[in-house]
Amino acid sequence: MNAAEQEIQNAVREAFSALEAATTTQQIKEIEQAFLGKNGQIVQFAKRMGALPKEERPAFGAAVNGAKQEVQGRLDARAATILEAELARQFEEEAIDVTMPGRRTRRGNSHILHQTTLRIKQVLSGLGFVYEEGPELEEFRYNFDALNYPPDHPAMDDQDTFYVSDDQVLRTQCTGLQGRVFEKTAPPLRVFTVGRTFRNEAVDRTHNHTFHQVDCFMVDEGVSMADLKGTLGAFARAMFGPEVTVRFRPDFFPFVEPGVDYAISSPKLFGGRWVELGGAGLIHPNILERYGIDTERYSGFAFGLGVERIPMMAYGVDDLRNFLENDLRFLDQFQRQPIRGLA
Amino acid sequence: MKISYSLLKTLVNTSLTAEALGDLLTMAGFELEEIETVNGAPVLDIKVMSNRGDGLSAFGLAREILAKDGSSTPTDLYRRAAAHFADVSLPAGAAFEVRIETPSCSRFSAMRIENVTNGPSPDWLNEALLQIGQRPISVLVDLTNYVMLELGQPLHAFDADRLGDTIVVREARDGEKLTTLNGTEHTLAAGQLMICDAVRPVGVAGVMGGLDTEVHEGTHRIVLESAHFLNRTVRKTRKQLGLNTEASYRFERSVDSNGVVSAQRRFAELLLAIQPSAQVFEATDLYPLPASDLSISLRLIRASRLLGMSISVEEAARYFTALGFSIQIEGEQLAVTLPSWRPDIVREEDLVEELGRIHGYEQIPETLPSGTSVLGGVWGRYAATDRLIEAAISAGYSQVINHSLQGTSPLDAAAERVGPRNPSSPDLAFLRNGLLSGMAVTARLNGGRDVHLAEVGRVFTAGKESVHLCLVSNGDLHVPDRASETPPKADFFSLKADILDIFLAVGIELDLAAGSRDPRFHPGRQARLTRNGQEIGVIGEIHPTVANELGLAPRTIAAEVSLDAIFAEGDAELPLKSFARFPAVRRDIALLVSKAVPFAEIEGRLRRSIGPLLERLWLFDVFVGTGIPAGSHSLGIALVMRKPDGSFTDEEANQLRDAAVAELAELGATMR
Repeated sequence: MNAAEQEIQNAVREAFSALEAATTTQQIKEIEQAFLGKNGQIVQFAKRMGALPKEERPAFGAAVNGAKQEVQGRLDARAATILEAELARQFEEEAIDVTMPGRRTRRGNSHILHQTTLRIKQVLSGLGFVYEEGPELEEFRYNFDALNYPPDHPAMDDQDTFYVSDDQVLRTQCTGLQGRVFEKTAPPLRVFTVGRTFRNEAVDRTHNHTFHQVDCFMVDEGVSMADLKGTLGAFARAMFGPEVTVRFRPDFFPFVEPGVDYAISSPKLFGGRWVELGGAGLIHPNILERYGIDTERYSGFAFGLGVERIPMMAYGVDDLRNFLENDLRFLDQFQRQPIRGLA
Repeated sequence: MKISYSLLKTLVNTSLTAEALGDLLTMAGFELEEIETVNGAPVLDIKVMSNRGDGLSAFGLAREILAKDGSSTPTDLYRRAAAHFADVSLPAGAAFEVRIETPSCSRFSAMRIENVTNGPSPDWLNEALLQIGQRPISVLVDLTNYVMLELGQPLHAFDADRLGDTIVVREARDGEKLTTLNGTEHTLAAGQLMICDAVRPVGVAGVMGGLDTEVHEGTHRIVLESAHFLNRTVRKTRKQLGLNTEASYRFERSVDSNGVVSAQRRFAELLLAIQPSAQVFEATDLYPLPASDLSISLRLIRASRLLGMSISVEEAARYFTALGFSIQIEGEQLAVTLPSWRPDIVREEDLVEELGRIHGYEQIPETLPSGTSVLGGVWGRYAATDRLIEAAISAGYSQVINHSLQGTSPLDAAAERVGPRNPSSPDLAFLRNGLLSGMAVTARLNGGRDVHLAEVGRVFTAGKESVHLCLVSNGDLHVPDRASETPPKADFFSLKADILDIFLAVGIELDLAAGSRDPRFHPGRQARLTRNGQEIGVIGEIHPTVANELGLAPRTIAAEVSLDAIFAEGDAELPLKSFARFPAVRRDIALLVSKAVPFAEIEGRLRRSIGPLLERLWLFDVFVGTGIPAGSHSLGIALVMRKPDGSFTDEEANQLRDAAVAELAELGATMR
């Protein structure tokens, strides 16, 4: 080993011991600079090459390169060890108590009647019905005359009405939309609405002067009571679960003939008993004829139900007044849960 | 209507229990509401539909049971009732003079009965009435009630000694007086239908008898009235007089005019069984407007198509016969003659319902409509409304749904209100003309502070119904946490950002304009909300006096926007902008400027001066204090600029900034 090579060996040893003593990534960087940097000790050896005899140059070059590689290798290994230790220290220092409460910005919640309405809109849209709305302050003729109410008939006693004037009432049912639609649209048509209705009656746990209704109707060729039952079945199963069955019971509403009350039942819900949901039937031919629809060619069905009934049944809400009172302690309990029965 | 199981069993031989009969009636359209047990015997409470007056009797319900259930058979009493008790034969007496002077009375029959005593009823009759909750009065009154219950025909017994020799059915004359047997004196008006003797009204036709001519303990001779009146006239008269009786309830719905005399015969038969010495004479029966025999033809193919289940001619014939209709079969068609007790049936579809009802709706299968399919869905303004409320919820507002009917509030809008003319309470006297008043009540209900609420709903002014969106925000913007023990408070600017963002979520850009003068708000903290220059809403801090009055914490901020104008717009275009990939430069400026200069003015000038190269501008600081003259403030504004086709040099950026600042000199703004 010549002196130059000895010198290289010394530099390598010096670098090794410096690396041995290093404890931080910063020190490693300094060592790298001092030995392997542009002016580092080992790199400097290469500059001597020109002064050497030609035949010594390859061996010397190999020695310098070997030293470089040796130092670089040791340095990388040492750096990795130190980095790992440093990270471990950092992680330990930065550890948090994950059981502390989260930090959130404010959250809003949608009203349970709105959640229910959105679900109804999804289901009836899927069955091919188009959403429409009519006014809450309705003309008498759409609310009663157009729905085949005979003048001054006891059927009107069933619906204590708020009169704003002789010809304006707060609608007692959303069915008044039918006349408005038939005026503008020829069959075939499928329409539904969800809206607010009013009855001038005493308020208690199960009665309110204001509540919400779904009204859904269609007119086409060959529409039958079986189509009505099938549509109600599909609707009820989408709202309350796949086991639901539908039952018709005869009932009287001036705007349908035949008229029925429909109830649903499911072994998984309401103890398996029949629960009445609303009124339905084939649209009364007097109504279709009033709007120039040929009843020999066309028939239609209509059904309605109370929106509040759905969460009352699904969640056991026992006071109708809660819905429009808006106590957030009530409303916030409905955190966008699906209506029961939906997976 | 309460009806005892035992009374039904006098008309129907059946092995069905009370519960089973109740279910059967329910499925025929006569809904069982409950079964009570009175003195150990079941009593059914049946809800009779308002178009089915024929169901308001044991006889009528028995007919439905017999049509629905093949295993039940009619009793002898049922057969005799169906034959109008023609087997009860009575001697003819001296004719009683009856005159009908109105088309509202289609039939009137007066039966004279003499040599009666009006004491307590026999046990069976007392019991029959007590079972259904009626108080026995005396045998003559109790028998009228019992026969009405059995056959559905209201009867009235006059004391013949207190009544003149004539009965006149006529409209009242204005000012005539009648005290009804409930003790109320009525002053009558023309058009009200009365039973009169030769000189005065003695009863309200189809509603209630008069006190003067009432039967009493000493009554020995009676005139038994059985009649038929037009339902609309009875309804009008009883409503005007404020009366509502079992009799009027039936007449309003429908009573069989062919059953008038058979009810009197049944009364006579029962009375003679109790008091064999009574003398009953054949009634004087006037029937000027007899029920006509209407016939409707029914196409069974059509019926089956409408019902979605097929019913054979034989089945149809059986059902109609059981219900008392007469039929003639003509191939696939039936000619159906309607019985007088079914005025609810006027066209083919009504017969279709009868078929379906008796055949059983449980037989109808479920199918889905197979006709023309249309594209279902929630579109246009309705979809936009749903998205708006969803955006408000996402922004941290709890959705509420308030009543339309309200009382009066200092937060009512200025527009004229309308309301029902028959409100049951002052709290329901008006339809809301804005959402804010109801929102304030809800905010108060929820504590009046730290609440953030949103509502979309209808509002009403004279002649107009609109949809509004309203936000109310107050107190802490979020719950306190470790990072901010005192969270930032809601203020004008937090709500301003939210309302603009919520509308941006549906692609609608709103603007604010100063100069609002709404007395509901703090005079210095309110603005008009505008869309394309048109005012469509208001935002502001609720006037502290009003907030205090309504139990709201100070600094309650609200915004209310009408959606009408927005809905009236067509679908907006969304012009996509290209975006540059070169780096942006930022220049901050600190301006000393009078507080009287609106920020919008400064912002507008900066934007106009720099033009499209200005990518973003924001206010990062508002400073008042040391070194700032009174009435002025220092505004720190950041300008971020970017070129579409290259990088800015420092010099270029500075030039743009300086030119922009120069535009502010006119506003008296100087660089600090």
